[in-house]
Amino acid sequence: MTAATSAPARPRAPRAARVVPLSAWRLLRVELRRNAMPWILPLIAALFWFDSYRPSIQTEPLYVIRTFWNLGQGGTIIDFGPFVAAVAAWMGSRDGRRRLADLVTATPRPRWTAQLATWAATAIWAVAAYLVFVGVMFAMYARQGVGGAPPWWWVAVGVTGVIAFSAAGFAVGVFWPSRFAAPVAAFGSALILLMSSRTGFTHTSGWAMILPTNSNGNFQNDSGISYPWLPDLPIARIMFLAGIAAAVLGVTGLPARAGGPGLRRAAAVIAVAGLALAGTATGLASSARLTAHGMAIPGLHDAASDAPIAYTPVCGHAAGVPVCLNPAYGRWLPAITGALAPELAEVAGLPGAPARATQVATGYTGGPVAPPGPPVATGAAGPPQALTLTGQPAVLRLSLGMLNMPGPCGFCDGPVNGTQFAGQVRLMFAHAFVGAGSAPGSPAQRAVQAALLRGAGIPFAAQPLVMGHTDNFPGAPRSKSATGPIYAAARRFAALPATARHAWLAAHLAALRAGQLTLKDLP
Amino acid sequence: MTAAGLHRPAPGSPPVHGPAGPAATLRLRAAAGWRLTRLYLVSRRVPMALVLLAGLGVLLWAALRWRWNIAGGAAAKQFIPLTIETGAAALIAVTTYGPFGEPERAAGRWLPVLRLAAAVALTAIAFGLLSAGAAAAHIADGGAAAGVLPGGTIALLRNLAGMTGLGLLSAVALGGAFGWVGPMAYLVVTEAALAHGSVTPWVWPTRPPFDRGAAVCAGLVIAAGLVLITVRGPREPGGDPGPA
Repeated sequence: MTAATSAPARPRAPRAARVVPLSAWRLLRVELRRNAMPWILPLIAALFWFDSYRPSIQTEPLYVIRTFWNLGQGGTIIDFGPFVAAVAAWMGSRDGRRRLADLVTATPRPRWTAQLATWAATAIWAVAAYLVFVGVMFAMYARQGVGGAPPWWWVAVGVTGVIAFSAAGFAVGVFWPSRFAAPVAAFGSALILLMSSRTGFTHTSGWAMILPTNSNGNFQNDSGISYPWLPDLPIARIMFLAGIAAAVLGVTGLPARAGGPGLRRAAAVIAVAGLALAGTATGLASSARLTAHGMAIPGLHDAASDAPIAYTPVCGHAAGVPVCLNPAYGRWLPAITGALAPELAEVAGLPGAPARATQVATGYTGGPVAPPGPPVATGAAGPPQALTLTGQPAVLRLSLGMLNMPGPCGFCDGPVNGTQFAGQVRLMFAHAFVGAGSAPGSPAQRAVQAALLRGAGIPFAAQPLVMGHTDNFPGAPRSKSATGPIYAAARRFAALPATARHAWLAAHLAALRAGQLTLKDLP
Repeated sequence: MTAAGLHRPAPGSPPVHGPAGPAATLRLRAAAGWRLTRLYLVSRRVPMALVLLAGLGVLLWAALRWRWNIAGGAAAKQFIPLTIETGAAALIAVTTYGPFGEPERAAGRWLPVLRLAAAVALTAIAFGLLSAGAAAAHIADGGAAAGVLPGGTIALLRNLAGMTGLGLLSAVALGGAFGWVGPMAYLVVTEAALAHGSVTPWVWPTRPPFDRGAAVCAGLVIAAGLVLITVRGPREPGGDPGPA
């Protein structure tokens, strides 16, 4: 025996109280085991495959395009939301349906905390399923070699959306323990999501940017390819959806049977805080402005998000001219070099002929909601062009984010074939080379453009069709026939020997680009 | 308190004190039939379903009156009316849940007839209410084309009938309380089909109102739903006592 045992016992320091008692974990585990959500997940998986995954693989293998519908327009939330809300309503109405409300109110654990455990289990199942389904979808994309970076912020928005719908549905079930609670929650969620889409299609700025299925401003062109996905709008939406979730869950803790006064006060605080968060998020979204890289919210914007994504380009050659692309577009390098080669050979050695071609980031241009692709013409300046020539020595700048690349398209009438794509690239190159810019060009410029195209293998008769198929091409012809004075001059010019054309262009290209030549000046 | 009331024969029971005339028997049978029907409808929460269906009619009226259309062409304009039709089908399907289970099945001779009649009557009432909502919107809009239900009442009848059939099939497969699952899943499928231009007749809302294939498919589904809900009834819940 030591002195220690005979020493007066010191009062034992109180053990630090657990933040979440063990019994709460046990309760959560029980709720996870007894939850109805797993039973609906196979159906959601089937709908997710049908509605979100299957259509996306018919589009170009770029994340910004693959995920435009399912994450940008909230397709995955539409697949989950109504069913999650309905099952949450079913779970929320459980005690009421079983006539156990009075019984569980008498248990030591406050009713509200028990209800929160039920909701948490429901939400955990739903969120876990959402993450697994999206994860599998991204894994499939990765196997298919989809280019660019996944829009992780938009996945987080989807997760928060699932939580918000589970909370809203749960509240419906708590306050209305009826057989109709689940279908009404499902129907209400579907209607809200459709109304959100409807508003999103018509409101491209302001408060409507907060709506979860409004795809304006963050799913265009080269997001995740040339520059990062801007997190501003997703953060605002996460705040909004989390605020909604907190508000409705707080409201379920307000009735007298929910718990003691302290707990009900806490529920009220949570409800008010949730509303404040949702309101703040809406205010932030209202201040969003469109930048070249997407929607920026001054109160949330981090300048570091504007830094371009560094990459090692993939390069090839077209008629001896180096052509370098973002690796996300690497699969189309042969198509690009093949399309450019005939015209680059035609203009080789001329002043202003490109010394190299390089891909550049495509900026956001706003306009009505549209999938990634050609920007909408704004103002009198005409639409920005996908191919431009700048600098000395000239560099051909390729804004490929504006183009529908060869292969499956998904957002146009049908797949783009190689000939179509080559025709469009050649048309835009010729248009840039004659200096027409975003305008249709002078008659002389259009005649030379037609002759260059003819030299690159596009017959005059086919040119109006190519122009008609090229989105936003300035001055698309009203007539489908290659007739009139411009084509007459073009035919005359094209009939010259190649060396004569080359010599004439070498002498007159500067004047042609300046718009100083008329059709009569052409040989 | 007396026991006098207990000696009163239950409506529909055979007469105790001597033979009654055929008229009295008929009256008693009619009273018993009415009581049985009323109890059946109350146990299925049909009154609440009627209130909710009327609400959907009002919602359709508001959607058409104030043109809550989704931008994007004729297909997109169907989304909101279609969602409302789905809601109606889901409500009808959920009314099939019965709270009494085996005892009712064992003793309820008229149960299949009541199930069939209730499903048909509710579908007809839902069609009437939604048609009335659409007509009211059209009239309030001064007959303008924008206030018209896409596809008209023929498409409404086809879509509602087909989706109600799906709801009844869901009730047979999953239980009455989960009858909403079929129509809601079908809504998502239809929405995807409309968005991506699919036109199989099995997704009948994507087809024109007088399309024969779509009408046949929707008709087959409602027929199958009615037959199965009549013959088999909704699936009985296992451990869960079900909804109120």
